[in-house]
Amino acid sequence: MRFRSCAAFVCVTLIVCMVGALGYAAPVRKKLAIKAGKIITIAGPEIQDGVILVEDGIIKAVDKNVEIPWDAEVIEAKDRVVMPGFVLAHTSNGLDAPNENVPEVPFLSTFDSIDPVNPFFEDSLRDGVVAMLVLPGNNTLLGGTGTVVKPYGRTVEAMLIKRYTGLKISLAPPVQQTLRYTDGGYSYQATGNISRMGHMQRFRRYMAELKDYLEQYEQRKKDAKEQEKPFDEEIDARKQPMIDLLNGKLAAFIYCGIAADVPKAIEIQETHNFNTALVLGTDGYKAADLISKKKMPVILDPQLVVWETNQQTNAEEMKVAPAIFYKAGVKFAFQTDTSEYGRRYLWYQAATAVRYGVDRAEALKSITLYPAQFIGIDNRFGSIESGKEASLIFLTGDPLDAQTWVDKVMIGGEIVYEKAKDLRLKKLLEKPKPEEGQQTSQDKNTD
Amino acid sequence: MAILCIKGSRSETFIEDFQLPIEDLKSKIQGVIWLSFLSVLLTAASRLCAQEKTVAIKAGEILTVSGAPIKAGIILIRNGKITDIGTEIAVPQDASVIDASDSVVMPGLVDAGALPPVRGDLNEQSGEITAALRISTALDPKSKVLKRIVQTGCTTLYIAPGGANLIAGLGVIIKPVGKTAAEMVIKDDAALKIVMGSDSTQGNRIPWFEPPTNFYYRRPTTTMAVALMLRKSFFDARQYIASHEKEDPDMEVVAAALQGKIPIRVAVRRAIDIRTALRIANEYGLSLILDECTEGYKVAEEIAKKNAPVVLGPFYYYPRTSSQYDEGREVSWNNAGILAKAGVRVAIASNAQEGPRLAATQDESIDLLTAAAFAVRHGMAPAEALKSITLTPAEILGVADRVGSLEKGKDADILILSGNPLAATSRIKRVILNGQTVFQD
Repeated sequence: MRFRSCAAFVCVTLIVCMVGALGYAAPVRKKLAIKAGKIITIAGPEIQDGVILVEDGIIKAVDKNVEIPWDAEVIEAKDRVVMPGFVLAHTSNGLDAPNENVPEVPFLSTFDSIDPVNPFFEDSLRDGVVAMLVLPGNNTLLGGTGTVVKPYGRTVEAMLIKRYTGLKISLAPPVQQTLRYTDGGYSYQATGNISRMGHMQRFRRYMAELKDYLEQYEQRKKDAKEQEKPFDEEIDARKQPMIDLLNGKLAAFIYCGIAADVPKAIEIQETHNFNTALVLGTDGYKAADLISKKKMPVILDPQLVVWETNQQTNAEEMKVAPAIFYKAGVKFAFQTDTSEYGRRYLWYQAATAVRYGVDRAEALKSITLYPAQFIGIDNRFGSIESGKEASLIFLTGDPLDAQTWVDKVMIGGEIVYEKAKDLRLKKLLEKPKPEEGQQTSQDKNTD
Repeated sequence: MAILCIKGSRSETFIEDFQLPIEDLKSKIQGVIWLSFLSVLLTAASRLCAQEKTVAIKAGEILTVSGAPIKAGIILIRNGKITDIGTEIAVPQDASVIDASDSVVMPGLVDAGALPPVRGDLNEQSGEITAALRISTALDPKSKVLKRIVQTGCTTLYIAPGGANLIAGLGVIIKPVGKTAAEMVIKDDAALKIVMGSDSTQGNRIPWFEPPTNFYYRRPTTTMAVALMLRKSFFDARQYIASHEKEDPDMEVVAAALQGKIPIRVAVRRAIDIRTALRIANEYGLSLILDECTEGYKVAEEIAKKNAPVVLGPFYYYPRTSSQYDEGREVSWNNAGILAKAGVRVAIASNAQEGPRLAATQDESIDLLTAAAFAVRHGMAPAEALKSITLTPAEILGVADRVGSLEKGKDADILILSGNPLAATSRIKRVILNGQTVFQD
């Protein structure tokens, strides 16, 4: 009896363990079928009444007629436009401070500085962004390396898409006398040189010293080999990002504050053969021809429309950066500015481009596929294709229409944002409830 | 005549002395005189002809604002005025035709709080009650701001002195094209600007470690004193009207405002300031126009009850400037929609005035069409939003008999757009002001 009960117990335990192990070894693959009124795939033509099949967060198929598996969860989105989530190619928001106050800090990483509760990420998700490259600001010569994150997650680890992406180089001398609050109170920070002469010289000197260091390192390695001694000297970790830039493991994001910085960025690219993307200031369009010859990717300033005085006619002329780069055949991506009405949204930036003559398909690519390419995540983001991540946005209408809202955001097959459940947005759009007693007492006072 | 002859003969002899070919010279001079006379005649004639000539706009769609939209309509313009508008209109044979059959036509925008096209500071620092300051005296017709504003579709602007003084001065309504300031002005002394809240106290100091004769020791320094000084100003104006002992230019203006001869525009952001403004208005029987009104959504019913129109702006999601940060942090995106729903007359303006510590530039403020498009996005009705940048501001400014909608007899201030004005992808193709094309894409 005792033996039997023991055996039964062992059996039950075994079965439980096996079921558990089975469940662990072969988890139920989560299948999704999104029935969308319209799919803007970016990779190909737009599909009316199509279906996107998603398995474990990866897009398996997208077409008009797709057989939906019996075990797939169906998401009905007949009245929605589904497109890949927006990608932001460059931002310095969401950091506690965008820049360190010394000029040569390539070994820093924004990974250590990203604050997940910063409202910037919440806003970005609401506005349909699914991936962004957070780079240091424009105030340090060699600012540090960037981090690609999704604007969702409680820790930076949870937000992470890709670490160690891109190195920020700023060719604009640091803005002097920026009032910054530190623990000791307000103070003016001064970082590095104040003129472009000194700034460029500092860069050249850094590169010359780096080359010397590498030569000496190689020499020591060679000597050790000749003398048959063990060689255990490691490369200086503080120089590693710049070395990775030289051997192409990292891309350089070179900030050109004014158009005159562009030739210098090209000089750097030619001398050191960096894999370069340009981050431009407001007047960057003046260097469009130069950039088009070098076929460099460009990230535009948030302010797209710039006024310029024509020196001959004295007329004020409107210059629209995306239209100029589009004509010059340069691939571009946009930046945003969260405090402003239009510039806050990537879709609005694309709509501005279309307004002034950029082809619609190209404008849509410049907020999805191109930025994904620039920051090296186009194998996972930027378009709706089989094999890419299901990081999609569900829109209430055409993406370039000012009356369209992001209804849902899906990141990796998981719905992470729903407008209907967005309490903060509700508070921003709806009339507040009258404060108790205030109305009556006020009436007494006024009348 | 005689003197002329003598002079002539003298000069002839004078010239003869030098043995110049006098006959030749004479004929040349005569020729020049004749030519110049003819050219004057010709230009005058051509100007007359140009004025007389009718311009016809063939539009795909006309958004009249005052009435229903007209599909495939025609607008006739003569002498800078709209002479006819509708679908079945005979176009005169000699009329020059603007073909906008693939476009949308709407009235020129009215910005009830534009960035002032002036040079130099807008804030007079010598006093807090500077009611007699006139922004029209500082107008710069060659300003770059004007050339830009025209291209964003604004054809009528209200501009006012800066926002650092309690009673800041008198605003003016202008059209942004003209060789002289006088040519631009539609209505001078259009409104008296009053600034409440923290802007009129910013920069003011109480005597502290410095001699009390210091230029910057001014009141008010608190919100309480803002209310007090405002009440006192109107009280003084009442006394001034009654007694009229000595002339005072500032009191003259405040008295005119008190008697309702000049509209009063009060810049207020916070709900408590809006309530204070309405209370003071009640005490002195004033009718107010409320500017900025960032927290208007909290007191929409109270504003509607007082029948005070509102000129909203600037618009932002997060404060950019220090004064916005101090006072305008509690924003509702749907401020315009909530106010309009409560029955308040709402105008959307750029309101890019320079405050005490704020240097707004045209680049930083969004244009009116974008502001209206976002007002609709955030909850305002589209027709209402379109009105809020055309007819409503014109009514608030008191120039709705001339501008703000496309109607017979009104000024020919017309925009031609590539599509729906509230769409982010539509572009302004042509701006017509007083019947003349002032911008063409």
